[in-house]
Amino acid sequence: MRTDRVPGLGIVKGMMLTITRAFQPKVTVQYPEVVQPIAPRHRGRLLLLYDEFGTLKCETCFQCAAACPIECIDMGGVDTRDRYHVHWGPAEQYAERREESALRRSGRTVPDRTFDPFELIDLGPLDAVLAREDYNPRRAIQILEGAQEAYGHLPVAALQHIAHQTGAWYSELYGIATSYPHLRFEPPTGHVVAVCRCSTCAALGSGRILAAFRDHLGTDVGGVSPDGAVRLQQTDCRGESVGVPRVTVDGEALPRVSVEDAATIAAALRAHVAQGRPA
Amino acid sequence: MELLTGRRGWPSVVLARAGTYDPGLEGAGIGFAEAAGAWTAWRRAVTTMLPEAVIRVVAESGLRGRGGGAYPTGEKWRACRRMDATERFVVANGFEADPGAQADRTLMELDPHGIVEGVALAAYAVDATRAYIAVGSGATTAAARLRAAVAAAESAGYLGENVLGTGRPLWIEVRELSGSFVVGEETVLLRALEEKRAQPDQRPPYPSERGLFGQPTVVNNVETLAAVPWIVTNGPSAYAAIGDPAEPGTTLVQLSGAVAKPGVVEVPTGTPIKELLERTSGGTAWNEAGPAEIKAVFVGGPSGGFLPISALDTRLSHAALVAAGAIPGSGSIVLIDTNACIVEMATLMTRFLNDEACGKTIPCRIGTRRMAELGDGFCTGRCRPSDPDLLRSLAADTRDAALCGLEATAMNPLLSGMRYFAQEFEDHIVRGSCPAGVCRPVRATAAVGAR
Repeated sequence: MRTDRVPGLGIVKGMMLTITRAFQPKVTVQYPEVVQPIAPRHRGRLLLLYDEFGTLKCETCFQCAAACPIECIDMGGVDTRDRYHVHWGPAEQYAERREESALRRSGRTVPDRTFDPFELIDLGPLDAVLAREDYNPRRAIQILEGAQEAYGHLPVAALQHIAHQTGAWYSELYGIATSYPHLRFEPPTGHVVAVCRCSTCAALGSGRILAAFRDHLGTDVGGVSPDGAVRLQQTDCRGESVGVPRVTVDGEALPRVSVEDAATIAAALRAHVAQGRPA
Repeated sequence: MELLTGRRGWPSVVLARAGTYDPGLEGAGIGFAEAAGAWTAWRRAVTTMLPEAVIRVVAESGLRGRGGGAYPTGEKWRACRRMDATERFVVANGFEADPGAQADRTLMELDPHGIVEGVALAAYAVDATRAYIAVGSGATTAAARLRAAVAAAESAGYLGENVLGTGRPLWIEVRELSGSFVVGEETVLLRALEEKRAQPDQRPPYPSERGLFGQPTVVNNVETLAAVPWIVTNGPSAYAAIGDPAEPGTTLVQLSGAVAKPGVVEVPTGTPIKELLERTSGGTAWNEAGPAEIKAVFVGGPSGGFLPISALDTRLSHAALVAAGAIPGSGSIVLIDTNACIVEMATLMTRFLNDEACGKTIPCRIGTRRMAELGDGFCTGRCRPSDPDLLRSLAADTRDAALCGLEATAMNPLLSGMRYFAQEFEDHIVRGSCPAGVCRPVRATAAVGAR
């Protein structure tokens, strides 16, 4: 018989610890002169802090939402890198109300963008995908891939609907979707600029080119330029680049790109899409 | 990626069969592979050896993990087998997360049968009936060849419901995973195989105690497993005689950067990096122009370390590389010429690691970002003379709180850069100039110092 199956043994163990601790002497440790031993598995406490300007230092990392046993914590706003809109509905949660009032007290305007309601979608294709995958939350990746195939990207409404139908937590779905680079939160764009970030290309100057693209496209790696025209990505040269860092536009490798070229290319791509679109 | 030829007399273990058969043929060329000696170790192990004997042979050979940790493989298998469980798993890590790394993919493309056989031997040793080979979603050729090799082995009776007529079942599945750099870490890889959010777990318990689906799991790099059939065929003492006695065997090295022809070569462990660069074919810039143009080598992928020309006597072994401030990592060695700036490159690597971090631990999520910001400050001149000390202290804290390998090694590029290229960092911070002419540090700090 396995010892962890004995009924009540866990409670006895827990109470033993409580009783031993109750009889230990109470002391005040003079931190930081005296440092208490820290358990090797300790990784700090999850805390919601304010910075010196009264803004919440929430990183939208979903750690607390994932840890909450009854799913009462949810995130609002835009994620750390200003990429994903993760909120819907009016400001309801403690954190948002606090952030709003903190902003008002500091005399700044409350950004409305964060609290926009999400866009509604036709849920028909998504229901088909869910039925095909048997509403099984363990097949989350297949469901998300199917949803992306149906809508071209992952709208907030789709994520919410998947969460309702499968019973998976929104935070968990959001976490899966952000950790896989092929799942997108923005509509597909006309052009894709990709730069290799491997050590070989970095030695050849890919970092400067990436910085130039970042400035001229107005987005970081993994994001889309504000006008929705160009997506900036990272690619992989597979260690084969000799002399020239690998920079691709729509999958085609460019011969040699200087920092000045990057500005020209970025402007040309954005102009091209702007013309091709109905006004 | 092209195979380079090393010094004559360097033994060939994992690449011994590379090129003797065409893995692009039907069934990954199983007929020719068998003629070249594939699956003989498997037949011998299953018919004449007990699982414990396989573990003993691997332990005696001194084989260590080639994924970066250099943990003794025999120990890991023994720990997994010792666990009381109904089911055990074997996972071969061929994800190869480093951008630009090709060594494992080259191996999987050239000798898929060797890898499948190694996985089968590991599964036999720990009594697993199900094994996974995880490859990156970009490695389509490698995945197709591995699948073909598994299917051919099943129809030949090596794998499947009844392995070689012993009644023992063994199923091997090839899985293509997509994800970021951190998926290459073992606990993250297991989460990704379970189709969950790719984040690391606490260790201990190690995967050999509680891994895939909560069961004891052996996670080994494909390069490690590819050496197992050779060890079973040729005996443990033959393997233990190769290379560095403390970490015997061979390792795959990928040369790139300031070379005429990048490629992969198999070298015995304990070979000095200098000898590797001098003796490897492929017309490296090293051979043509001598070391004058080369300023440093960057060893081990994005979380590796810079070694200067004066430290090229460092031997290619886990202990020696870690002592020198680098890691063996994916086995990539990038030659850096005088046109590149060490400060900029170290910052770029740290920035990359921060972007790829999963965000589970706070010291990693915030710490790597602060390190990258300090590096950016060096490059742009927005820094204080005390910043290097701040960076060292932050790096120590981040390493102590590390949950996975990414966090424990993320500081290597900046720290090894500051250790060996202190002058270059000082030029940036104090004098506001970049010796390579790459960064544009403002001279503000220098002016303040003069006043």
